[in-house]
Amino acid sequence: MRLSDFAEVIRSKNAGPRRLTLDVMFASDADYQRVAQSPALRREAIGLLYRVPPEDVAVIHYPLGRAIKITLPRETAGDPGDRDVYGAQQHAPLLGIEI
Amino acid sequence: MSASQRVLDDVRKAQRPMRFLGASGQLGYGIPTPAFNAGLLRQPDLIGCDMGSIDIGPTYLGKGEMATSPVATRRDLHKVLLGARRVDIPLVIGSAGSAGAAPHLEATLAMIHDIARAEGLHFRMAVIRADMPRALLKQAGREGRMTGMHGMPALTDKDIDDAAHIVGQMGMGPFRRALAEGVDVIVAGRACDTAIFAALPTMLDFPPGICGHMAKIIECASLCCVPGGRDTILATLDHEGFELESMNPVRRATPTSVAAHSLYEQADPYSVREPEGHVDLRDAHYTALDDRRTRVVGARWVPTADPTIKLEGATCIGERAVLLAGAADPRFIAQHAEILPAVAEVVRELVCEGQPQDYTLRFRVYGVNGVRGFAPDGEPTPSEAFIMGECIAPTRERAAEVVRTTKQYLLHHGYPGRLSTAGNLAFPFTPPEVSLGPAYRFNVYHLMHVADPDALFPPGRDKRSVAQGRLYHLFPVTVAHHAQECLVGSLVLGGAERHWR
Repeated sequence: MRLSDFAEVIRSKNAGPRRLTLDVMFASDADYQRVAQSPALRREAIGLLYRVPPEDVAVIHYPLGRAIKITLPRETAGDPGDRDVYGAQQHAPLLGIEI
Repeated sequence: MSASQRVLDDVRKAQRPMRFLGASGQLGYGIPTPAFNAGLLRQPDLIGCDMGSIDIGPTYLGKGEMATSPVATRRDLHKVLLGARRVDIPLVIGSAGSAGAAPHLEATLAMIHDIARAEGLHFRMAVIRADMPRALLKQAGREGRMTGMHGMPALTDKDIDDAAHIVGQMGMGPFRRALAEGVDVIVAGRACDTAIFAALPTMLDFPPGICGHMAKIIECASLCCVPGGRDTILATLDHEGFELESMNPVRRATPTSVAAHSLYEQADPYSVREPEGHVDLRDAHYTALDDRRTRVVGARWVPTADPTIKLEGATCIGERAVLLAGAADPRFIAQHAEILPAVAEVVRELVCEGQPQDYTLRFRVYGVNGVRGFAPDGEPTPSEAFIMGECIAPTRERAAEVVRTTKQYLLHHGYPGRLSTAGNLAFPFTPPEVSLGPAYRFNVYHLMHVADPDALFPPGRDKRSVAQGRLYHLFPVTVAHHAQECLVGSLVLGGAERHWR
């Protein structure tokens, strides 16, 4: 099953101009637990997907919000060559992750 | 008596809960009137509006321009100013004019003066500047008190000199000083969005952790609700926690929606960093009061022994011009990765004629990898693509020369297997080249370690000292408008000296 088939929210945004933060949120505790326990959203997998070293990836579990937060470094927002100043469309690689 | 003094006296005497209206997380993009007016009927003690963010990129800060339209900004300011004066409570505006540097603040103040004149309003206004004196920044650098944020390179004196504007993000202290002095309106340059709301209740000994948590949520208005939105939100604060209620009845603040808001644009949902410490949310607890109100308790304030001020600065890197064009030929799209550099090389030879290249030329191919920067292996070639060529050059004329030349040679470039020999591009309009003006980048995004962060936003100097090079000051100004006559006075805080002009 793909992440986009059962997550309620999959979004990205800058957390300051040098970091990207991705939130995956679920409608039920069962869905949240299923993904939280899966290796698919661990830092190694995310690093491969976003082409950054795994040690630069932070994954934070947030059960109160039924959410998993992923934070990555990014090129400084607005620098020449930037493709997404707000970082609001960098969630796309997460959509097809198989859980 | 000023609005801030009245509220401070009243809460001290009655020892009652306080009520805060979060009217807008981005003043200038519209404030829905029904919810705002509903909030005014709930006997609020303060209206807060955040007006800015670093998310919008470096150009607004560098250029000194607002991101919001002047018409919409003025409309929003009119709404909150009249509302606050009608019920006589403090109006607190942070990060004025999108980026909170001097020109943003001046543009915001000009609108406020204009509204006050048109409406015949009288009020006392504090203005808190956030521009940082460069000598002080260089000194901090020399003393090793500057840390790059998230891998930013070490800050050099040249970076400091090159930046068009450098602002510091103020915390609660400068707001508290203004509120204690007695004001009706505060307009601040770049500021922590939390300080807008948390300064007043922490003066009354409400727990700073609770105040900071409340502030972090309501600065985004009703975004913490389901469905989230821009409508005004009401927070009711006591000494143990706070309750949230959107002033639009369709928006529900639920325990999950409010808890989830801690994720928004934050790297860590368990911590909110401020100049003076951080709010620890690990023990925060969210309970439904009914189906659209949530009570929040448990946030703790952890003061720091090493206060810091976050600095933001943007420097001009040249003039930007872009080329906008579409393509629908599958052979052209399939070969774009070879065609685009080949055209760039042709252009370089033509416009440089043996001289060193003095510009950058980049392409983004939308439909292929324009947003992500890379296309996963095996993705099919799209049937259409959009190409944006972007040049940054020393002058506007040079940037225009490069993109216009690029347009012509990309249009007519020959490639293996080409069938469409009359042209490779579809222009949605002509000219397809657009000059976008100066381009900026963030060259300052650093933390300055400083024993007394509030001293960076000092009180007590008027506009004349600004002209003498002292760039950031708090100066409460009495705005009084009588028969089109504008009297603007500045008052030195903490002293008896008054200047009128």
